[in-house]
Amino acid sequence: MAAEDLPSEFDVVILGTGLAESVVAAAFSRVGQRVLHVDRRSYYAANWASFTFNGLLTWIQENQEGSHPEEAQDWSSLVEEGEELIRLSNSDSTSISNVQVFTYTSEEDEEEEEAPNTTEEETGGAEGDAVKEASETESADSKEEETEEKQEETAEGGGGGEEEQAPSTEGEEPEADQPAPSAAQSQSEPAKKKKISYTKLVKEGRRFNIDLVSKLMYSRGSLVDLLIKSNVSRYAEFKNVTRILTYRNGQVEQVPCSRADVFASRQLSVVEKRKLMRFLTSCVEETEEQRAYNGRPYLEFLRDQQLGDNLQHFLLHSIAMVTEDTPTEEGLASTRNFLRCLGRYGNTPFLFPVYGLGEIPQCFCRMCAVFGGIYCLRHSVTCLLVDKESNRCKAVIDSRGQRITCSHFVMEDSYVGVDRKKVDTPTRFLSRAVLITDSSVLPSDSDQQVSLVTVPPIAAGRPAVRMVELCSSSMTCMPGTYLVHLTCQSVGSAHEDLSPVVNSMFRTPESPDQETRPSVLWCLYFNMADSSGLEVQGHDLPSNVYVCSGPDAALGHDHAVKQAEFIFQKILPEEDFCPPAPNPEDIIYDGDNPSPTATEGEAEEGEGETKEEKEVQEQEEVQEEQSLHPEE
Amino acid sequence: MAIRELKVCLLGDTGVGKSSIVCRFVQDHFDHNISPTIGASFLTKTVPCGNELHKFLIWDTAGQERFHSLAPMYYRGSAAAVIVYDITKLDSFQTLKKWVKELKEHGPEDIVVAIAGNKNDLGDIREVPMKEAKEFAESIAAIFIETSARNAVNVEELFQKISKQIPPLENPEVESNESFKITRQPTPSTRRCC
Repeated sequence: MAAEDLPSEFDVVILGTGLAESVVAAAFSRVGQRVLHVDRRSYYAANWASFTFNGLLTWIQENQEGSHPEEAQDWSSLVEEGEELIRLSNSDSTSISNVQVFTYTSEEDEEEEEAPNTTEEETGGAEGDAVKEASETESADSKEEETEEKQEETAEGGGGGEEEQAPSTEGEEPEADQPAPSAAQSQSEPAKKKKISYTKLVKEGRRFNIDLVSKLMYSRGSLVDLLIKSNVSRYAEFKNVTRILTYRNGQVEQVPCSRADVFASRQLSVVEKRKLMRFLTSCVEETEEQRAYNGRPYLEFLRDQQLGDNLQHFLLHSIAMVTEDTPTEEGLASTRNFLRCLGRYGNTPFLFPVYGLGEIPQCFCRMCAVFGGIYCLRHSVTCLLVDKESNRCKAVIDSRGQRITCSHFVMEDSYVGVDRKKVDTPTRFLSRAVLITDSSVLPSDSDQQVSLVTVPPIAAGRPAVRMVELCSSSMTCMPGTYLVHLTCQSVGSAHEDLSPVVNSMFRTPESPDQETRPSVLWCLYFNMADSSGLEVQGHDLPSNVYVCSGPDAALGHDHAVKQAEFIFQKILPEEDFCPPAPNPEDIIYDGDNPSPTATEGEAEEGEGETKEEKEVQEQEEVQEEQSLHPEE
Repeated sequence: MAIRELKVCLLGDTGVGKSSIVCRFVQDHFDHNISPTIGASFLTKTVPCGNELHKFLIWDTAGQERFHSLAPMYYRGSAAAVIVYDITKLDSFQTLKKWVKELKEHGPEDIVVAIAGNKNDLGDIREVPMKEAKEFAESIAAIFIETSARNAVNVEELFQKISKQIPPLENPEVESNESFKITRQPTPSTRRCC
């Protein structure tokens, strides 16, 4: 499609649509700065993205093949007197590694559950397989339920009206030149429960929204506050995380964390209930006794409280979510944060966005666009033009060779060439696994639970693993399945770190005797670089260039939100960070000039009014919510 | 009367009059040099339908369609989509198919689709025959109507037609973990997401 040219002058050009970059974009646009926001990928949110099942298969294929850096073009003709050209990195090969996929369910629907068909594809060596898999995806995509037999011989990618489930990526055409293997499908549906086939996963692929990062939103964390403050929260809906679970002595147990939970708990004795309540009440405020433990492990502090093994486990691993050697002050701070977030919206401290975390950066991008920001995916910046004298970036050259002037440039860290990055500590990695399973790790009355599962190290030197199990009503997986995310700081490769946990908690071909456990239908392992140690500035880059890091290992989103605010305040110290957007009802079209300024005043008034009220409202909220859960 | 919030997303090429249609519907106002997407997260208008009130939350593309960069979140939970083309620009009709395909890929399955041929006040320079457009709409079971945001022709009707096609509310399930909005208001609305 013939694309029009971009305007050639902006206040801020932002490269990469990860969370921090997207918040920065919204913040600048909101206060009237002209923003150009581009991403070389065909989808939003970079390593924060979520994909349909088929979209994820494409992502896997891309990451197994490795990237093909485009040829560096010669833009020297665009360089003006007194300018120097800095090339940006044009490949994203470093952030994702060790991609491994295992399909444990049968390829097609079968009458009876049989020995699962295991296929493995490893990075590098198995390109052929990856291509095969992708082409299977293609072929299954274009089939419709009733007509698939007939369509067998018709060519791929027929008319536009036909239902096609292309990879989730925006507006991308499925490659029509893929060979279409004629995998005949039996559509017989026996009444008895059977495993969902791979074909079915592909066919229902659009019902999945699989996040590359697995985080939760603390209900009083900086991201929730920012979403509410800016009114970006309007663009999304949320669900409560309904349970906190932990894995202990080979069993999955529910962690009682709210007052209601504690009293309803059947695992705890009356004495334990009292002890736990007393402990939770006492640690809200800092005491002399606690201070005495500063610098010593939290575990020691807990031991000395005579809580017993049960409570100690819950408090250390599931409430504070720290390790055995974490200092007491840190453990207590973490515990307090957990308690502070309880009861704002639900029974646990956490929220999860419906359709997955990948929605959040998109919501901020929309806010940016609503205030005039210009969006362009599949578009990159290849070079910076730097004024030699002032060491400031004056303009950038985009992937089409257009010179675009800007006052500030913000970019995702993966675009910074290795030679220009100043990295103090060796790059850390996250180990990730994504499982599609057929039942919950802890079945309950409701099959629509969203659970956080804390898995302490299974042996010395092994990482603590955080697991999030999502149900289909979170709109992240098809009905009848669960989507399970595992995350830890890497010790080895993702498979080395996480497969022992998977095999002990789930039924896989490697753990076939785990009959009572959920079966894994499909799983993916990969490592992602954790660049959160990277500084925003201080690299071998011009002074008005700012670097955003990718996702970090923490459960919450504080790092990205803080980074975005830091960049905004560095550039516009006088301006308000993400003031509320006006309510739709308040927008007044003022004759011939529907200018946003006409509405801003109102919005600010709206803001002013609330300070006190807001707190009252929140308290009311808490009370209301607490009374909302009488059953516990 | 029960108020039901219905998200409607607008699709169509840049310049076909998406924003003008909303502006006419919501504000009964038309402006030649409109830049209404600025600052408007979405616009709302409530219309009665049977014994319900339909509160339309009308989402504009905010210009993100211009460089083919609409985000999937734009389509989430939409009850209806209005795909707009310009009857004086054949190109904008030819890309309808592309928008229908986008919608099939990213939109909810049960979405009500309406196709609006805008600028029908400019009949003398028409490039898209009404018959052809109507047939196309029928082929995908979509509502079809020609509108003029400028002369306020058929804009109300477009939304009335959509209202009528919205399936009645299913029995409110007793779902313990419903999705909700987070706002500064004391009681978050608990509209089901789809």
